[in-house]
Amino acid sequence: MIFYEIKKTVSRTGGRIALGLLLFTLAVSCFLAVRVYYVNEEGAREYGYSAVQKLRAAQKEWAGALDEERLQAAFQENIRIRHSPEALSEDITENNIAFSRLQGIFEIRSLINESYAEGFRSYDYYLADRLTSVNAADFYQNRVRLLREWLETDAKDQFTEAEKAWLIRRYEELDTPFFYDYVKGWRRAMEYFPTLVMLAVMILGYLVAGIFSCEYQSKAEAVFFASAYGRSRAVSAKVKAGLLTVTGIYWALAGCYSAFVLAFLGADGASCPVQADLGGWKCFYHLTMGQAYVLVLLGGYLGCLFLSGLTMLVSAKTRSSVAAVMVPFGAVFLPSFLSFIQHPLMNHILVLLPNRLLDMGTTLGYFYLYPVGGQLHGAVPLLLILYTALSLVLYPMQYVEYRRLSKK
Amino acid sequence: MLLEVTELTKAFRDTMAVDHISCTLGNGVYGLLGVNGAGKTTFMRMLCTLLLPDSGAIRWEGSDIFSMGGAYRKLLGYLPQDFGYYPDFTIQDYLLYIASIKGLRPAYAKKHAEQLLQQVGLWDIRKQKMKKLSGGMKRRAGIAQAMLNDPQILILDEPTAGLDPRERIRFRNLISEIADKRLVLLSTHIVSDIEYIAGEILLMKDGKLTLTGTTQELTASMPEQVWRCTVQREQLDHYLQHYQVSNIRNTADGVELRILSASCPMAEAVPEPATLEDVFLYHFGEKAGADHDIL
Ligand SMILES: Nc1ncnc2c1ncn2[C@@H]1O[C@H](COP(=O)(O)OP(=O)(O)O)[C@@H](O)[C@H]1O
Ligand SMILES: [Mg+2]
Repeated sequence: MIFYEIKKTVSRTGGRIALGLLLFTLAVSCFLAVRVYYVNEEGAREYGYSAVQKLRAAQKEWAGALDEERLQAAFQENIRIRHSPEALSEDITENNIAFSRLQGIFEIRSLINESYAEGFRSYDYYLADRLTSVNAADFYQNRVRLLREWLETDAKDQFTEAEKAWLIRRYEELDTPFFYDYVKGWRRAMEYFPTLVMLAVMILGYLVAGIFSCEYQSKAEAVFFASAYGRSRAVSAKVKAGLLTVTGIYWALAGCYSAFVLAFLGADGASCPVQADLGGWKCFYHLTMGQAYVLVLLGGYLGCLFLSGLTMLVSAKTRSSVAAVMVPFGAVFLPSFLSFIQHPLMNHILVLLPNRLLDMGTTLGYFYLYPVGGQLHGAVPLLLILYTALSLVLYPMQYVEYRRLSKK
Repeated sequence: MLLEVTELTKAFRDTMAVDHISCTLGNGVYGLLGVNGAGKTTFMRMLCTLLLPDSGAIRWEGSDIFSMGGAYRKLLGYLPQDFGYYPDFTIQDYLLYIASIKGLRPAYAKKHAEQLLQQVGLWDIRKQKMKKLSGGMKRRAGIAQAMLNDPQILILDEPTAGLDPRERIRFRNLISEIADKRLVLLSTHIVSDIEYIAGEILLMKDGKLTLTGTTQELTASMPEQVWRCTVQREQLDHYLQHYQVSNIRNTADGVELRILSASCPMAEAVPEPATLEDVFLYHFGEKAGADHDIL
């Protein structure tokens, strides 16, 4: 039964087109994610696998615990390069040659910019060039200090005292000095995955929307419901076919994408904390790069599972796929409209909408806290629990709904 | 093995689609005859548990079919009037899918589907997609689908609608073939479809069963006589206005009419034995006449 349900879905012309579109999106996402350049000794940009290898080699030289010694070395190296004749030259190519030498320490340099920034929310690309000295103690303490200052000034009214204390404690809990490594593979994979998932969720929605409504659209429902298992096993086969379609297609996509991107860019630095990378410096979740990526994949899966489940429920209820296919579109696009509504509570709600699951990388950076069960939590664990629970309810509801309708 | 229908009623807003129908059906072919809108489809959909009646009951061997649920549907084969299928499935896939939702074991389903495909003459094109089939082929696939579980109760709603005369004859033969040892209920608004194959005829009008019986019983019960006579063309209008005319045929001497009338319409008129078609006309009057044109 399940086999034929899936066959029904993918044998439609629309189903074929949808699958083709998914493969195309996958290819484009993979291509964009691995498009990394390396500036060579002549100051020219190189692309492709060899460029990745060179960049990786350059940054790998600096891998290790980011302690006083390594931080000093990177800082001095930056000063040295900045004061080299190539960097001071008026000629762009000469500048590029200087940049070529900077690539190995580029990420550490960015972290210094973050750490020594003027404020929690500011970032100055040239800051590291102006600093006269750095030390590891300050480097890690600045992160907490800037947060504290921000919470006392700009963000004074955004958080309760308990929330402020909670955030500061979280920041202080970060194990330092942390391990630094080349993490481009993870970072890029995380960055480009949401585009793929957002398209995937809409295409999956389109595919599963027909599982229930196709019976009515093709007027085959009379034979279906008049069959021995038309209101029992055959209905649950549809639910399972939906689950399998979503699960199979999602993990096939996520698997191909991750394998390709990580193989191409390298999976180094899986055990580095997310804070050891520019994008995660301010993050208050204590996760390694590898864990964060797994979270991104799981979030995407849960998002697809939930939104497809909702799509199927609407299709089972309305007997048509028209309203149903709108569900994932709405989920992806509606929140950006809602964000125009200015209300303190609004942002807290927006971050718990299912579209946040599709972009866990960004969600990890949100500073919204929720008091649940006497404790404060970030949005990420709540999203995971909330939508797991909702998905567990959604799929059985389809069964009940489709059976019920069948008697009119 | 009896299907008992008692006081079955279903109304849609202001129309009584099925109005206190009672009947008992056993093995054999039953022809449910009625004009469009008589309530045939509504009645059949209730027999297939697709529609809940407003009141009344349907019992199979004494048990309520709606309570029996899956156990009843195991015995049921249904070809809906508006027969839908999955356009991108091949005939074979379609049958195997339906077999699976009917709970047939795959090995048996495969064997039985093959046998049915041979019987309805679709074996050679079993790999063709459903959307590529002609109307007649689709109906045959529909019959095969209904027969998959070797049903005790086979319900066919207007199985001949839209078929050309050749396909219709073929269909009649097919139904006679498969009618053995089961209850077949076949609805139509075309008399010739069931005149010869139905053991019993249920005449349905405005949601009620107005008359039931064999063809002989029905024709014998006609209170009016059937007359054959030939009139001049100029007189045609007069006869059409004053009598129920079941057939008109142009001949060399004028127009030959078949008239239903208690009294002799004209001196030259010859009495004829009534046919089922005459009975149908007698009960449905003008409405039926309109449908006859498409014969
Ligand atoms: N779903 C429905 N909603 C409203 N009216 C209906 C519905 N189905 C049938 N009817 C009405 O019930 C009557 C009987 O229809 P139907 O059972 O389809 O007759 P038949 O099959 O003999 O042509 C008609 O007047 C029709 O308009
Ligand atoms: Mg009908």
